[in-house]
Amino acid sequence: MNRHRHILLAAAAAVVLTVTPANAENGVLNDLEIAHAAYTAGEIDVRYAHLALAISENASVREFAATMIRDHSAVNEAALTLVGQLNVTPQDNDLSRVLVDTATQKRAELKAMEGKAFDCAYAQNELVYHQLVNETVEGHFIPSATVPELKALLSEALATFKVHEGHAEHMVAALGCST
Amino acid sequence: MSRPYLIASCGIVAAAIAAAASVAAADNRPHRVVVRSFAFEQQRLEVKVGDRVEWVNEDIAPHTATAVSGEWDTGALTRGQSAAISFGAPGTFAYRCAYHPQMRATIVVTETEADGAAH
Ligand SMILES: [Cu+2]
Repeated sequence: MNRHRHILLAAAAAVVLTVTPANAENGVLNDLEIAHAAYTAGEIDVRYAHLALAISENASVREFAATMIRDHSAVNEAALTLVGQLNVTPQDNDLSRVLVDTATQKRAELKAMEGKAFDCAYAQNELVYHQLVNETVEGHFIPSATVPELKALLSEALATFKVHEGHAEHMVAALGCST
Repeated sequence: MSRPYLIASCGIVAAAIAAAASVAAADNRPHRVVVRSFAFEQQRLEVKVGDRVEWVNEDIAPHTATAVSGEWDTGALTRGQSAAISFGAPGTFAYRCAYHPQMRATIVVTETEADGAAH
């Protein structure tokens, strides 16, 4: 699991570094790119959750997945409302693309599994994924966002995702997966 | 022993509510529990028999207030939604959010001092 975490974090760090010089003088993602990446990150977790509901027969894993769909959908709905109010269009960017590509690979891996192997792989991925997203939202998105409403939404989203991270940690422990 | 029952509000549909006599005074103001930042504002709330407790969700994420015993459940409350439960009998009711199991709190229902004259 640690290996996976390092690979993902390295990928994220690389993306942040690559994206940085390509954008604006400040060397940070702009508001529209942040909005796009945050929305994408939520959609990705919803897709993982649908996969879990299709494959897992473990009640606690299925409950967790249902909560991911419920919560991430609510956050993304709030994001769409904000985007509508501000009358802006989020911008696709390198970070969003890497998130999507990485998740596509991961879903392919997960789809080939079943039973406890799937449950453990899904649970561990959820933990690592939320850690990665939370570090990125807290360390990069919130400090870089300039629109107050976006900053506020990201902060509330972060609080939600941190609860998910804790929940995922419990799920991994309860499943008794080998690391 | 009569059980608490749900008074649906704001279009929330009551699910799996135990039958109970309508003990609550019709016009009593509910005790309000704000659900915010993945917590129930009052960890422990003391009310009298016949009182209503209303939960209001202020988070983006939907929550519930669900008796650990399974006796009552507000159902999903999205942001800004609320639902109330009336407590018709004394007792200590542990409850949690069905979606976020770490969210827990307790309602303590006690007899009114002069039962029948209190309202
Ligand atoms: Cu909840």
